[in-house]
Amino acid sequence: MSKSLKALAAAMILTLGACSGGGGDDTGGNTDEPIVIGVSLPLTGDFSEPGKGVQQGYEAWAKIVNDSGGLLGRQVELKILDDQSNADRVVADYEQLIGKDQVDLVFGPFSTRLVVPSARVAEEYGMLFVEPAGAAKEVFEQGFKNLFYAAPAVANDHYNHLAEYILAMPADQRPKTAAYAAMDDPFAQGTAYGLKAKLEAGGIKTVVNEVYPPNTTDFSGIAAKVADAKADVLVGGSQYQDGVNLIVALQQLGYQPKLAAFSTAPTNPEFAKAVGNKTEGILSPTGYSQDAQYPSNKEFVEKFTAQFGKAPEEDQANGYTTGQVVAAAVTAAGCAEQGDCQKKLVDWVRANTVETVVGPLSWDGTGKPKGAHMIQQWVGGDIKIVLPADVKEAEFVFPKPAW
Amino acid sequence: MPSGALLFQSVLLGILLGGLYALLASGLTLYFGIMRVVMIAHSAFLILAAYLGWWLHERAGLDPLLAMLGTVPLFFGAGVLLQRVLLTRLRPATLTMMSVLLTFAIALLIEGLLGYAFTGTQRRVQLGYGSASLEVFGARVAVVKLIAFGLAVVALGTLYVLMKRTRFGWALRATIQHRDAARLLGIDTDRVAGYGFGIGLATAAIGGTALSLDTTIYPSLHWHWIGPLMAIIVVGGLGSVPGAAIAAMVLGMAQSLLQIPMGTTWAQTVFYVALFATLAIRPQGFFGGRLAQRF
Repeated sequence: MSKSLKALAAAMILTLGACSGGGGDDTGGNTDEPIVIGVSLPLTGDFSEPGKGVQQGYEAWAKIVNDSGGLLGRQVELKILDDQSNADRVVADYEQLIGKDQVDLVFGPFSTRLVVPSARVAEEYGMLFVEPAGAAKEVFEQGFKNLFYAAPAVANDHYNHLAEYILAMPADQRPKTAAYAAMDDPFAQGTAYGLKAKLEAGGIKTVVNEVYPPNTTDFSGIAAKVADAKADVLVGGSQYQDGVNLIVALQQLGYQPKLAAFSTAPTNPEFAKAVGNKTEGILSPTGYSQDAQYPSNKEFVEKFTAQFGKAPEEDQANGYTTGQVVAAAVTAAGCAEQGDCQKKLVDWVRANTVETVVGPLSWDGTGKPKGAHMIQQWVGGDIKIVLPADVKEAEFVFPKPAW
Repeated sequence: MPSGALLFQSVLLGILLGGLYALLASGLTLYFGIMRVVMIAHSAFLILAAYLGWWLHERAGLDPLLAMLGTVPLFFGAGVLLQRVLLTRLRPATLTMMSVLLTFAIALLIEGLLGYAFTGTQRRVQLGYGSASLEVFGARVAVVKLIAFGLAVVALGTLYVLMKRTRFGWALRATIQHRDAARLLGIDTDRVAGYGFGIGLATAAIGGTALSLDTTIYPSLHWHWIGPLMAIIVVGGLGSVPGAAIAAMVLGMAQSLLQIPMGTTWAQTVFYVALFATLAIRPQGFFGGRLAQRF
């Protein structure tokens, strides 16, 4: 407990802008030199959009840290390479950053496909590897010792708060049947099937379980099955447009579930307009909310908005969170360089809880975060946090009003 | 065993889907009939028309149905130009093969330009009546799907009358059946073929509009469509518009019903199974005549 309190205090000190100054004097004569952090990100290619989002998160973190005096009294400097969303390229990038450029620390790239190969490189060099976006279960099955995923939960745990809430309802109100429709995609399916496993274990019967290919544009067939089964609960393992299309197709068939949850889609700024503003009661898990009352979040949103002219989204927040985790470790261990220091950093992260913009984070032995996502719901024309209870902005609405 | 209500709903959805497929495939079979051109870019033009409808709706609040007043003549003109300027330059001996390459390039060009202009983000026309539906004996028929079906009926009906009852239609069919004989009769086959191609592309404008009413569009979506549409015109008999319409209905219905036991992913394979079966058993197609000898 005292350890996590210390970590909390460390993170608070950092993010509130206080600085110990000169604390790192014992590391030698390089105190004036900046701490160089090596990153490879997909700035072009398939993942360029989220890749750039993470880049903004990293840059916002570096600016906020530097404006408040740096880390261990040293400025931080990001060295960002573009891996073109290419797994071979990302390996070469981290080899170069760690081996040739001798960076002091590294941050992870974006998405599972690039995180796994680059984590292997970091592992070889014994570097602490905190990453913003490798959430598929493969990441945690590789036996990595130095990897930590800087977000509240992996896909399967996104809906944990909702599952608890549903199963805690009195038996006569609790939904009895559920329909699941998920895109054929590890992330989208992971979210829906995580909830499915928990609801099935709690006795809620699965009446429809559909998987559709990512290029599906016509959802009337799936909608017909869901509507025919008259399921109480509807869970969509969706990205964005597929979720919208499914909802419109269900509206066309006049289906009214008591509870409807979709991953990702309902948090999109264009969602309400896309489904004809019939959003009331729709649920979505979210890893990040600009309105969440976590201590460092307010400062992050303000300064990020000032720097980039728009509020941060999840990708940006995950990048920033990565920075916060590494910073907390560096501050606690009192060092930032290759070699023995990295081991100290890894041990510290493994043993502590870090306060971040997405809430307090802690990890299991594989680097998987132990939390769950917040659950947001459309209430009164706006999407608000309803679960967990300690950060809620509105009461959970059940049953869902008609759409 | 699925319930009766689900079966009935799926049959209705199958009819509506079949009508849409028939509209989308009609142009494709027409090009082949007129000039033995395999028009890979047809579905790219469909998506282009859908984008124009979406864009006019976003920018000017224009209903996509009204946008057709502009897109149909525009596409007709583009079709005539495409045929007169590009396709006639291909050597007759290798026309079918080379037309695949040429129209493949056009498809890539359209996809690239759409991506450049509108980004890869998926779009959907947001209509006030987008989620409205009518009740038919306990099942539901979405208004937008009904409109798309209506467009298909009107467009295919007009095409039929045009081909069967007008001098131009006779000239076009003569050109389809025997180009040299048609020329001997004094038909300007080059001009007729140009207009025929324009009509094919005009159906793409209508089809694209029908498509935009109820689905998501994105620049590379045309690759998703060209396979099923090619399968439909082969099953229906290359060059035969009624054949394509019947094949579209049968396959649309089959896809809709197969979704119940097989799910969305496997139901799509019905097109390719039908394509293989046709090529193996009856290469000239099940519903048309021998390589478009008849309309």
